[in-house]
Amino acid sequence: MAKKILIVDDEPDIRNTVKTVLEKNGYKVVTAANGDDGFDKWKKEKPNLVLMDIMMPGTPVREIVPKMTGAKIAYISVVRTSEAEKEDLMKSKNIVDFIQKPFDINELLKRVKKLVG
Amino acid sequence: MDIKKELSKNQTILLLMPSTEYNKIILDNIKKLSPKNIVYITLNKTSDSLKELFKKNKVKIENIVFIDAISKTIKNVPDQAEGVYYVSSPAALTEIALVIDKFLRHEFDYLVFDSLTNLLVYTEKAPVAKFVASLVNKVKQSKTNAVFYALSVKEQEALIKESGMFVDKVVEIK
Repeated sequence: MAKKILIVDDEPDIRNTVKTVLEKNGYKVVTAANGDDGFDKWKKEKPNLVLMDIMMPGTPVREIVPKMTGAKIAYISVVRTSEAEKEDLMKSKNIVDFIQKPFDINELLKRVKKLVG
Repeated sequence: MDIKKELSKNQTILLLMPSTEYNKIILDNIKKLSPKNIVYITLNKTSDSLKELFKKNKVKIENIVFIDAISKTIKNVPDQAEGVYYVSSPAALTEIALVIDKFLRHEFDYLVFDSLTNLLVYTEKAPVAKFVASLVNKVKQSKTNAVFYALSVKEQEALIKESGMFVDKVVEIK
């Protein structure tokens, strides 16, 4: 059965590009444009992996992530952080990766494959 | 481009740069300016990441105070820590303006605004242009020299043109 990925990002270009590439590689993809929508879709769709933009309008992501118990979440970040901050952000059990924007789409695909198969 | 020389002749500068040179330029500039007192406003890089970058490149950070408008969006921080004032978000223009205003009264040698490009990610052009105009005006009433960074991107031409009218000089790095 195809693995399901939820992309949560307020940038339509990112959502569309990543969706297209992942679908071409056999994944089922659902998208959301902000944290609240992302949380609702996570509950409904039960994806294998959530690609979550770390900064979006609406409820801050750091308030949404703790509610997603058992989720596998990879942060996508346009914000530049220090190494210590990155480590801190990844301390949460849910967080499995930290991907800095701008990212290479093929590299993203490699990382998704590594995380969910 | 010698940022120190430019700022000695022009109190306010808009520095346009290609995205490929951005990291190199911010580092080169801070190296040249850092023996003096600097207030560094950051809207995309956390102050911790900037301190890490500067320390790695042997830039003295003791004379730099950061106004960090991004960290609060990704982690819990107080309003203030050593050498850093945190603002709630890059979209909080009034809050950013108020904090900058406080610092302008302390006669810092330089103000570095990193960057106008980031402002547009979070806010529409009109309020950003108004914010820039007001900020440049306040700088001109102070003894601080200011450089505003912006990327040379087509989508931001309108803001860049408008901001260019307020500053003393526009310098474009190609």
